Amino acid sequence: MSAHGAAPAGGMGPTVLDLERLVTMANQIGDFFAPYPPARQAEGVRNHLRNYWDPRMREALVAYVADGGAGLHPHVIAGVRLLSEGGAEQKGYYGPPKA
Amino acid sequence: MWAEVRGLRDDVDFGTPPRSGAPVTLTIDGVEVTVPAGSSVMLAAAEARRAVPKLCATDMVEAFGSCRVCLVEIEGRRGFPASCTTLVEPGMVVRTESPRLQQLRSGVMELYLSDFPAGELPDGWSEFHETVRRIGVTTHGYGAGATHHDLPVDASNPYFLFDPAKCIVCSRCVRACEEVQGTFALTIDGRGFDSKVAASQDEPFFDSECVSCGACVQACPSHALVEKSLFDGGYVRAESPEA
Amino acid sequence: MPNPRKPERSVVTTCAYCGVGCGFKADVAGDRIVRMTPWKEGKANHGHACIKGRFAFDYHSHPDRVRTPMIRASIDDAWTPVTWDEAIGHAAREFRRIQGKYGRSSIGGVSSSRCTNEEIFLVQKLVRAVFGNNNIDNCARICHSPTQFGLSATIGWGAASQHFDSVLQADVILVVGANPTEGHPVFGSLMKRRVREGATLLVIDPRRTETVDSAHCRATVHLPLRPGTNVAVLDSIAHVVVRERLYDEAFIRARCEWHEFEGWAALVGDDRYAPEVIGPEAGIDPEAIRTAARLYAKGPNSAIYYGLGVTEHSQGSTGVMCLGNLALACGMLGREGVGVNPLRGQGNVQGGSCLGSWPHVFSGYRFVTDADVRATFEADWGVTLDPEPGLRLPNMFDAALTGHYRGMYIMGEDPVHSDPNQHHIVEAMRRMECVVVQDLFLNETSKYAHVFLPGSSSLEKDGTFTNAERRVSRVRKVMEPLAGYQDWEIVVKLMNAMGYDRTYAHAGEVLDELARLSPAYKGLSFALLDRVGSAQWPVDESAPEGTPVLHREKFPRANGRGTFMLTEYVATRERVTDQYPLLLTTGRILTQYNVGTQTRRTPNSRWHPEDILDIHREDAEARGIKDGDWVSVASRFGTTKLRARLSERVNPGVVYTTFHHVQSKVNSLTTDISDWATNCPEYKVTAVDVARLVTPAVREAEAAAGATA
Repeated sequence: MSAHGAAPAGGMGPTVLDLERLVTMANQIGDFFAPYPPARQAEGVRNHLRNYWDPRMREALVAYVADGGAGLHPHVIAGVRLLSEGGAEQKGYYGPPKA
Repeated sequence: MWAEVRGLRDDVDFGTPPRSGAPVTLTIDGVEVTVPAGSSVMLAAAEARRAVPKLCATDMVEAFGSCRVCLVEIEGRRGFPASCTTLVEPGMVVRTESPRLQQLRSGVMELYLSDFPAGELPDGWSEFHETVRRIGVTTHGYGAGATHHDLPVDASNPYFLFDPAKCIVCSRCVRACEEVQGTFALTIDGRGFDSKVAASQDEPFFDSECVSCGACVQACPSHALVEKSLFDGGYVRAESPEA
Repeated sequence: MPNPRKPERSVVTTCAYCGVGCGFKADVAGDRIVRMTPWKEGKANHGHACIKGRFAFDYHSHPDRVRTPMIRASIDDAWTPVTWDEAIGHAAREFRRIQGKYGRSSIGGVSSSRCTNEEIFLVQKLVRAVFGNNNIDNCARICHSPTQFGLSATIGWGAASQHFDSVLQADVILVVGANPTEGHPVFGSLMKRRVREGATLLVIDPRRTETVDSAHCRATVHLPLRPGTNVAVLDSIAHVVVRERLYDEAFIRARCEWHEFEGWAALVGDDRYAPEVIGPEAGIDPEAIRTAARLYAKGPNSAIYYGLGVTEHSQGSTGVMCLGNLALACGMLGREGVGVNPLRGQGNVQGGSCLGSWPHVFSGYRFVTDADVRATFEADWGVTLDPEPGLRLPNMFDAALTGHYRGMYIMGEDPVHSDPNQHHIVEAMRRMECVVVQDLFLNETSKYAHVFLPGSSSLEKDGTFTNAERRVSRVRKVMEPLAGYQDWEIVVKLMNAMGYDRTYAHAGEVLDELARLSPAYKGLSFALLDRVGSAQWPVDESAPEGTPVLHREKFPRANGRGTFMLTEYVATRERVTDQYPLLLTTGRILTQYNVGTQTRRTPNSRWHPEDILDIHREDAEARGIKDGDWVSVASRFGTTKLRARLSERVNPGVVYTTFHHVQSKVNSLTTDISDWATNCPEYKVTAVDVARLVTPAVREAEAAAGATA
């Protein structure tokens, strides 16, 4: 990973966003869900990533967690793992219901 | 409290702010009209399509009662009350036109004309000009006394100018600044003949507390405060033959 | 020419500036607009206006307006004027080429809140239906995206619960991170009217703004918090509400999820949020926090109005949730005189939010991941749609740097000027292979563009705007478009050139389409608006002329109940250090409008010819800075220079400036930190240092002064 994740002109970096940025963003999400009970922490992180993140950003994070997820909060890692478990899609805690 | 803002209409100036009280029915020039309690006789007259001539009143600010043009006759009352400051009452019978009213209004308008640049009367289209025409006054008998025609135009604001020669000191601008905008930048400075509209401590508009919202320009009945964009070739005050 | 020229005709339309959305009559004489008169029947402004809307309209005929489309192969080349067909064809070919080489998701678009609902809807349709991805965002990303997130989380809709006139029934007005008398002047006047009638005004803002303290408007309580401590202070207010049992239990039990309330009460009720703990942290008097909480809870009608001082933080969405939580806890929703109301910066921020100009939701805030919703759009548009969220605006720039994002359609935005961490944005722009800018003027962003499409001002187009109170009003064409086409027509041309055949006879047909596909806009049409003037969404069978007050019976959530989010305070990573000991916060001023594209091209600049740095006397003295000195301002991300003004409106430790002028480069200072939920940039907190700038001229002058002394 280069200093700013910048790819050479014409080429493409390994992840859609610089990995460091993704980790920071994921931990920020984790900070919000920290006061919730553990199950809701992980679900909250999962739902947020599922509904708001470009799939390439999610995939990069999933791969990073598969590699150990260094620097990520434990409940963020738990949430990211829920992502790859698939399972029934859950509506978030937030966002209006379907009209 | 909402009628004051929500009751406004684009095509009519009620003269005083709309109200939301219980209905009151009265008769104006033989026309029966029902308006909310708290309304002025002036508003009721406008509602009855018998609009009373006026200068210091407009429906975005509270009544002031200074111009003496909106006088009416009310059965059972002595004198000629100002319709802007007189509230409606059930069964009231109002007359907006009569020879005596015409005479009184003409007298008032002559006073205004005695200090208005005569050269700017013919093709004007402000509320003042329209009122002059409606009352049918063309001259005044006051001779060439002191006027405000020599006072300088304040063109400091990039968007509008203030020409004291055309100011009739109705204070609509002052009240709009207070009541509509809430900035209180304008006052009437001085007394009697010397009274004039002043921004902050009698500063040029541009240097004053004025926030250029334009409420004063909109309120002005005589184009004393007027948008510069309405003048194709810049502003030159017409020379007054009496100046 | 002694008497003014009498206008010959008038067209009723809607102001293009701030989120108040004033109704105006454009008065025309001959071929020119000679005056703008506020429309007395305009339901947002009732015949009032401000300096921008009433006077600053001349930009529309400014000589800088671009009148012909232009293209160039490289950003180092000069522009070549071309025909519309050549420009559109070039853009279409380039976008397809890039997608062919780097993948379907390698291009995207951004729309502007200065555009009409119809244009915003068409841009997101262009991206979703024609580009075939969801890389669509709008400028609300960098201002009020946390509003949508935070309010929908708690009360169900990311929109103002009230209409503006509702403030006339408020007993307590709580203004947070907003300065209505400058930013939303016509609403500011209405609010001041209510304060003159006796309403209590509470203000939470780092600065002693004009709203806090001016000749005829004074706040009862002002909490001049340190920038970045919003959530702590709002939680502390909630702490008082909970611990002193000032909440409205009946309302919570009847209208909200009680269990979630209990969880929230336990969090904010904890000792760590006591005013005596938070006060010192935020730099404010604990007793003032208690007073504000008691006054707000007591009401009887308390209304919250807030601005970007809440949203533009790393905890922006959390801050908005705090406001939702507080209003729910105190029962301040669902009737006149109360509510939670975001004051929107640009004229159509609410519309931009509503109409699907987001990478994750379709119009009506419905997730693109929802197959049922997607199916309705696929049926209407006749295409298959991407089921995954796209990139957000800041992530588009991030992805440009990694080479995954190569082409961008930018309508009515100037991200190089307006977006944070300017060097990063410029670097990203340089990496792109095709940038299409559609605007009135060449701007900072067009320096990095390959295609320029000259747009039309709001005086030259038909459509609708949705203001900060959810009011949809007509924009009507007063003049012919200077470059030949209304913006929505240009979008359709690009769609067509990229192989999507749909055409529209007029903007009203676009409104019909978006109404058909957006539940809250369902009942809207040009015909309705021509008849009733304007209407606040939702407009549907149950509310055919609109809905002034939301949440009267229930909240638009699955179970109809409001809920409470746990709003733990997490301090921003941006902190003062020995090297950067001051906190810079940014905002705007009455006479200028955002990046100044319009107002800088009017005499408004006579009031505000340059951005000024407000600095407290103590901080200035410590640095030898005098009023009017040039100073350098440096952050971790960049440096710029501004003129300093000694001011008591900011506390020691805080400096403030506006961002209206290009040469100020204020966004070269702002950071890469953003809201946890939406990536809304943290414009409001940047650690900086300020130093007196000793230019050769200054040195000379001082030497001369020293010689004579």
